Amino acid sequence: MREPNAVDFWRGIALITIFINHIPGNVFQNYTYSQYGISDAAELFVFLAGWSIGIATRGRDGVPEPALRTVLRLLSRMVEVYRAQLVITAIALAMLAGAALYLDNPLLVEWHNAGPIFSDPIQATVGWVTLLHQLGFFNILPLYVVLLGLAPAFVLLSRLHLGLAIGISVLVYAVSLVFEINIPSWPVEGHWFFNPLCWQLLLVLGFAAHEWRRSSERFLAWRRRLMPLGVVIVIVGAVLSWFNLRPDPLAVPEPRLLFIFDKSYLSPARLVHFLGVMLAFQAVFGLVQPRAGWLTRQLAGLGRNSLAVFSVGSVASLGAQLIRFWTGGGFATDVFVVGCGLASLSFTAWFVEWRSRSPRPSSAA
Amino acid sequence: MALSLPPALLGGVSLAMLACLGFAVQAQSTTPTPPVQAQPQPALAEIPALQATAPSPDAPDPSLSPECRVPGSKLYTLAKLKAVKKALLEHRAVQVLTIGSNSGGIGTAATYPVRLEDALTRSLPDIEVTVESRGVSGEIAFGAAERLRNQVAEIEPDLVVWQVGGNDALARVDIEDFSQSLAETVAWIKSHGIDVVLVDPQYTASLAKDDYYRQFVQAIQKVAEREQVPLVQRYEAMRYLATRAISALKGDTAQAGAGFRLADLGYRCMAEHVTRAITVSLLQPDIAGPMVPPAAH
Repeated sequence: MREPNAVDFWRGIALITIFINHIPGNVFQNYTYSQYGISDAAELFVFLAGWSIGIATRGRDGVPEPALRTVLRLLSRMVEVYRAQLVITAIALAMLAGAALYLDNPLLVEWHNAGPIFSDPIQATVGWVTLLHQLGFFNILPLYVVLLGLAPAFVLLSRLHLGLAIGISVLVYAVSLVFEINIPSWPVEGHWFFNPLCWQLLLVLGFAAHEWRRSSERFLAWRRRLMPLGVVIVIVGAVLSWFNLRPDPLAVPEPRLLFIFDKSYLSPARLVHFLGVMLAFQAVFGLVQPRAGWLTRQLAGLGRNSLAVFSVGSVASLGAQLIRFWTGGGFATDVFVVGCGLASLSFTAWFVEWRSRSPRPSSAA
Repeated sequence: MALSLPPALLGGVSLAMLACLGFAVQAQSTTPTPPVQAQPQPALAEIPALQATAPSPDAPDPSLSPECRVPGSKLYTLAKLKAVKKALLEHRAVQVLTIGSNSGGIGTAATYPVRLEDALTRSLPDIEVTVESRGVSGEIAFGAAERLRNQVAEIEPDLVVWQVGGNDALARVDIEDFSQSLAETVAWIKSHGIDVVLVDPQYTASLAKDDYYRQFVQAIQKVAEREQVPLVQRYEAMRYLATRAISALKGDTAQAGAGFRLADLGYRCMAEHVTRAITVSLLQPDIAGPMVPPAAH
């Protein structure tokens, strides 16, 4: 088990933020940073995933591991994430159907795009297993599956030249934005909630940031120098978001995705805002760690086990929504469901680490 | 053992019940219906393509198929649809964007958007109608309204038919927040010369006494009234169909699954109900003299 570090710490914060924001209407939602900016925890999560790929594909001595091992490592992670997505989607469907039966309320099987799976099962079963049909709030892991599938190409390109990997990534992003290219959803018309062709840029930037941080003094110097710019961007984002100011998507010039605030396509405004957030808060971990050791260890624990924690968080947030619906909501309910949810995230992190070190008598010292 | 019925028998029983229900509704609704011979209205003369007559508001609307027959007063509130009317007058294709579930009912051959396209094409012969559909994930009070704006901008339809409120009502979001978000979004769509028809959430017996849910449905009615957009009162219509079903089954409604069958019927009827609300809205006379179409951008 590694010591708390900034990546795990921030990933822990992203996991908690995503959990709370996936219980719409709960009182704690107003206190997550997503409410005070143009970008949100999804950006943080994907950026850190790229950063972690940078760590994972080098040995302890910092030497890049063999190409084949990198490819296999990333593809096996992709399979793991895909498996997690299938499991949590299946559980979510059973929760919705079970709640609908128990509360005698057919509206519940319609919730979060689950409707077609029950009304049109032949097509929709193919749809959800191939990730073309995604339940509401269960759309980050499908993005992650595709990103992990693309990652080997970018990592290997970066070994030729990091600039080449970034250049191709920016090109794919720009073409997808200008021509509005996204993976279609099926059987329901529409597109993926998170467009992998755009969001891959954030993964590659996270990876590049890790590489630069290792080798480039200039990167570290500029990161410090640009911190005030980051603060300005965060303030502008907070003002825009507070007063609900955003471009009118029918009034902007073509190609309109360059100008609007769109989450699916990670429009440039969101990207710039997110980079501003990174610059502005780069020093926070160093400040928090010595003063709040317990908190840092908890958050880093969540971050170290992010896939398991995210999966449990997804199911827990749906459970919390069902409880809020059933009881009618209210402050006490919110405290209860969010409290139980956070405890279950924490337990998950502990449990995964306990399981990985505990029941192996043969390797015990 | 006594409780474990073979699935074939269960299927047969439910089929028979559905048939009874359909028959009963048909039998009831055909008897009291006065022969409606509506006068051709001025608006109708303006739009030669429109195949519709305004029904009497309180009798079950005979132009609807028997299982979906609901009086107009329980099915819709009307308002003008300027953009669609303009397209009809110019004999131009009409593009419709439906937002929300695309279910056409369990086991039906066609989805709701396909049925809607079909029904609108039948009501508006000579005019090409295309229907695109998009689901919405999330709550309009928390971000889904933004995504909806982007979807509208992507497709730039003449008319948006929006099944609204389902996600927000289940998430029990604050009704004020929801109403405000809805009103702003509707006003925004209209400000770009695009018509809107709202469809309110479904009725189900277990929510009939839920105050929050009823207030929620009323909040949508208020927004529709204030923003002057037609509203398909799915809640009222399904409640009406549910009472019919209860009397048809002679009080024997406590069996499990009655709510699920009603929800299914709601989806089967939605395309017809929406089409009816649109065509009758198109018959709305223009009070301000000759129609001045809004400048569409």
